[in-house]
Amino acid sequence: MSETDDLDQGGRDDDDDGVLEPGRAAELIKQTQVRARREFDTSSPIAAVLGAAVFLFGYGAVWWSLRDQQVYTGPAGWSIVVLYGLIVVTGIVAWRLFHRATSGVGGRAHRQMEAAGVALLAAGVAAWMVQGALRYLGAGFEIVYGVYGPTVPLIALAAASTGFAASLGKWAELCLAVAIMLVAAGSTFFGPKGAWGLTGVGCAVALVVYAVVVTVRFRRFARS
Amino acid sequence: MTTDSLDPLIHVPARLRILVTLAALDTGDTLSFSRMQDMLGLTAGNLITHLRKLADAGYIRTDKSGSGAVARTSVALTSAGRTALDTYTASLRNLLDGL
Repeated sequence: MSETDDLDQGGRDDDDDGVLEPGRAAELIKQTQVRARREFDTSSPIAAVLGAAVFLFGYGAVWWSLRDQQVYTGPAGWSIVVLYGLIVVTGIVAWRLFHRATSGVGGRAHRQMEAAGVALLAAGVAAWMVQGALRYLGAGFEIVYGVYGPTVPLIALAAASTGFAASLGKWAELCLAVAIMLVAAGSTFFGPKGAWGLTGVGCAVALVVYAVVVTVRFRRFARS
Repeated sequence: MTTDSLDPLIHVPARLRILVTLAALDTGDTLSFSRMQDMLGLTAGNLITHLRKLADAGYIRTDKSGSGAVARTSVALTSAGRTALDTYTASLRNLLDGL
């Protein structure tokens, strides 16, 4: 990195900004606020819509491959490829968007994000460990991979998210996480087809609603 | 009513944008010099000058980490800076309402 950010070096004494009219100052404040909010906001509608696509098409693909099974034999290989392919692509895009929003930002918010990451990782690992334990203890594939797989890790991740969303006052994210938990939990009553199908559709709807709310909220702020 | 009621240190486009950008972060959060420069589109020399003036007034705090070619500077709004910006915007609102 070049040494351009050293305040000890001599800077150009440039105060030649001209006369600033009050109206122009107010306009400048609003423009800068909108730009800053757009740049720093980690609530990405794009990532939410991509997440909806994962649930709709990824979970939908698995549901599609299970829909005619009278006896559970597991999803088709192609549907697993579609699901994980979408997860990987969405994960990469979401990470890039998140990294762009938080790049160069330090302090308390950065530490909170790190703590949230640790909590999410722990919740996911714990849920998947229990899934392994269930299989180890002899639970059937239908329960372990058909019902538990698409729902419980999701519930664990959403539960971890609710804590952080609530503590940071991020109400849209809190509502989204609660909706995902309820949809996933409710769908477990309907067996593997219901777990994949209902969770897929329900979470896709929740994420699209969230994307709309975030977009409307930002536009209202920009117009205010 | 004139612009005399507005803090002259803040009533400059570049410094106003610097403070508003920093105010968009949560209290205590910092922003790297390079990200700020990228967001505001100022030259390094110009940004340094404005930051130094704001720092001298106690409106911002700068922290430098590393040295030489890898030196990184981060900037944060102080509570005095946040108060000054709030006062400025309130004065500006009064001024515009009175026009």
